[in-house]
Amino acid sequence: MSIVEGKYSVTMDMWPLQSKEMTRIYPFYDNLKEGRFTTTSCRDCGTRAFPPRVVCPECLSENLEWVDLPLKGRVLIVTEEEVGVPVGFETPLIHAMIKLDDQLTVFARVMNCKMGELKEGDEVKLVVYPVDPLPVDGKKGAINLQERVFYAFEKA
Amino acid sequence: MRNVCVVAGGQSVWGMRQASERDMFQEAGKAAFAENPAITNKDVDGLIVGSAYTERCSFQTHLAPVVAESLGIKPVNICCRVELLCATGSSGIILADAMIRSGKADVVMVIGGEKLFTPQRWEVNYSELASVDHDWDGTQGLGLPPPVFSAVAQEHMKLYGTTEEQLAMVSVKNRRNGLNNKKGQYQEAITLEQAMNARAIVRPMKLFDCCPVTDGAAAIILAAEEKAKYLTDKPLVYIRGTGQATLHNMSANMANWSTWESLKIAAKQAYAKAGVTAKDVNVAQTHDCFTISEIIETEDLGFCEKGEGGPFVQAGQSDFGGQVPINTDGGLLSCGHPFGATGIRQGIEIMHQLRGDAVRQVEGARIGLTHNLSGFIAAHTVLIYGRDLA
Ligand SMILES: [Zn+2]
Repeated sequence: MSIVEGKYSVTMDMWPLQSKEMTRIYPFYDNLKEGRFTTTSCRDCGTRAFPPRVVCPECLSENLEWVDLPLKGRVLIVTEEEVGVPVGFETPLIHAMIKLDDQLTVFARVMNCKMGELKEGDEVKLVVYPVDPLPVDGKKGAINLQERVFYAFEKA
Repeated sequence: MRNVCVVAGGQSVWGMRQASERDMFQEAGKAAFAENPAITNKDVDGLIVGSAYTERCSFQTHLAPVVAESLGIKPVNICCRVELLCATGSSGIILADAMIRSGKADVVMVIGGEKLFTPQRWEVNYSELASVDHDWDGTQGLGLPPPVFSAVAQEHMKLYGTTEEQLAMVSVKNRRNGLNNKKGQYQEAITLEQAMNARAIVRPMKLFDCCPVTDGAAAIILAAEEKAKYLTDKPLVYIRGTGQATLHNMSANMANWSTWESLKIAAKQAYAKAGVTAKDVNVAQTHDCFTISEIIETEDLGFCEKGEGGPFVQAGQSDFGGQVPINTDGGLLSCGHPFGATGIRQGIEIMHQLRGDAVRQVEGARIGLTHNLSGFIAAHTVLIYGRDLA
């Protein structure tokens, strides 16, 4: 038996650490759990950044607020990966360049979609799904599981 | 400021190796010293080691002293590691150049490499989730680059009419260039038909449009001109100009997918420092991680007009006898791509081309260029080398 059998290591974790104890942008994940797709916007200069920050990348202000991003977008380009997808993902792995609004175009995974099904011009919507929970050390050797989620898109 | 010369370079055999990370660093270091016996490990006063996956694939941080000890190098001015994923090697060369130019070191070895074939194949693919923006792109399953380059190719085809045949011509050319490169991963030519009929990875990228996974290492030695003059009797090759630029990292922040703005900025910096233009370049090694990459690079480096990269390769302008032979040693598509070593391999090939002793020689080459790309087209590194100082 390996000495690391059953042990969690953050360096092998596909998913980001999402809790208040681990990241200052935890509201992104809290909002995501409620079906909201959000990011930070600067109250001083108005710059909306993605991904969310703790410092405005334009004026370096820390005076930021959470704002909602569109939940739907338009597909500009579709890619269908047939070989060599990372462990944890199914083949074909479909990605699309998705225009959410004039300021934000994301390149993201499109779930629940077969080869040839997604086309340029299609509308897609945000989908929030559960991912591996995070095992965290508790008291007296206990391991507490923290729920986590992440987002992708699917055909609207 | 002093002038900086490339005085030696060599590499390990690249491919799926039965060797460890430190084995291959030793092979590459030895190859560099063997290539120019006038220089020994005792002459080196600085060591810059490059590796992107040393922690992930070999469980080894603090790699530079491991390599120094292995090669009997006792640096007194610098001994550290650099990392910029696929452009780790050329980043090391830029830093070594700056150290020597400013008088902080006299003779610096830049050595880079990767052990990517771990006992279980899934691990290296999984580790690629650490190479992109882990939290925001890795989580979309974008660890492996092909989907991104497929989107780039689709956009380029739509905007400029670039064809799948033109993409395939890049890999046919580079595989042919790598035929006699004994240290490369492949010494096997392919036909246009083979390239066109290969299995799809992410359309339009097929098997031969993508560089492979590679184990390997490479080492290059730079020296101050006055040192170089008595260390070597080979023709001197100068580093004339460098540039490295980045405008974004996460895919959502890439403003333009088929024109690489940070490449243009890095090239402008390097050309200006070297006092040359794209027209003066006689030979180039550009980052052909995918066939579409080389096509866009020929455009954004200024070898042809925007959108003309496809016709450029089709007309043989990037082949021997053309305007500027590109990837004369086979490039990433034929040599393979151990991230930390690629920029060094490019520099070594340019050293040989400008000395006049390359395996496939561009006759009379006086000015050479290397271009290294890293991440989701996030950072670009350009170096210009010259047989002459000005
Ligand atoms: Zn601001």
